[in-house]
Amino acid sequence: MSHDYKSVQWTPFKIRFDRWMLAGIALYLVLFAVIGEINQPPGESVHPVQAMIRATGTLAFLLLTFILCIGPLARLTDRFKPFLYNRRHLGVTTFLIALVHAALVIMWYHGFSETNPLVSVFISNPRYESLSGFPFEVLGFAALVIMFLMAATSHDFWNANLGPGLWKALHMGVYFAYALLVIHIALGAIQFNKSPIYVALLAASAVTVAGLHVITGFAAMRPSDRTANEGWLKVAAIDDMEDARAKIVRPLKGEAIAVFRDGNKISAVSNVCRHQGGPLGEGKIVDGCITCPWHGFQYRMEDGQSPPPFTEKIATYATRIVEGVVYVNPEPNPPGTPQTPSQIGASA
Amino acid sequence: MKRAHRRLHFAIWAILGPVMFWVLVLAITNRPSAPVNDTLPTQLIEEAS
Repeated sequence: MSHDYKSVQWTPFKIRFDRWMLAGIALYLVLFAVIGEINQPPGESVHPVQAMIRATGTLAFLLLTFILCIGPLARLTDRFKPFLYNRRHLGVTTFLIALVHAALVIMWYHGFSETNPLVSVFISNPRYESLSGFPFEVLGFAALVIMFLMAATSHDFWNANLGPGLWKALHMGVYFAYALLVIHIALGAIQFNKSPIYVALLAASAVTVAGLHVITGFAAMRPSDRTANEGWLKVAAIDDMEDARAKIVRPLKGEAIAVFRDGNKISAVSNVCRHQGGPLGEGKIVDGCITCPWHGFQYRMEDGQSPPPFTEKIATYATRIVEGVVYVNPEPNPPGTPQTPSQIGASA
Repeated sequence: MKRAHRRLHFAIWAILGPVMFWVLVLAITNRPSAPVNDTLPTQLIEEAS
């Protein structure tokens, strides 16, 4: 395990984000307890442990819903891009809250018998053939195991050792964890609690998450406008290219291309970050370098190389401007190949 | 995200989405109704009321 890795550094922004996140979590738990106490039907009492089970369960699910919406929403609006940068902290925090929820459930509902509490989760309710009586806790346990694997491998050490492709594939497990949790709640809390709020929240979450991913996933797979100029792909009119930002072009074959404008210069690089495959074209130019929106990895516009001491390289592409329209050659140069930027105002 | 991952990502949601909704609809429509004490004879209930 001597593989070299470069960890994503703490920044004042990340520290501030974490403080706000922890304050929000504390506020949610307090509000949940207070509102639950006020709305408690007369004659019924909920033990503080049960209240905490509900509070941590709903909070973990809502946080996971938000985390899964960050990616697609960041494609639709720039407002969500800061959350992309801190998504891993949110994910690990969500796992810890889910762990507290599971620990309380095991202690409260399975801790008082002679059977091992963990074994009891699996054998105390054998009604696997029933829908309304299904042992839903098993589904939550399976989701927790997936979330543990993801939280445990969220550090850059694992990204460097597993490789970005395998790491990303492994972390797609969060989608299955989410689906398991939707079913866990549908066959659990929804069966016992008749309040329409739980049904509405669960349905809204599932519709939002699945809908956003299907819509943005479909859009990301569609090839771009293929109006060609001698085999070069049309990007956009110069006036439509925002400074320090990119347009993403998707050729029929190969990876997507990010075409950046930096003042009067136009350059194109692969849209895939070498770190975790982040969409570089959704990032911006910071200090003269293309900066990945996911974790801030940087590349020089002119040759696709990370500035020293970093060594990552991405493919570059030739660009040209014809009658105010930017075109890109879909054939990539080898990663790290210098490519002269096109100059706005210069002849083609 | 690489092209292969984008396709996998889309395929996962195209499958998971309908599965989630199917289970959700089944779970809601099959919720047990409020418990009713049917051990008392109807006649006794009518007399009591």
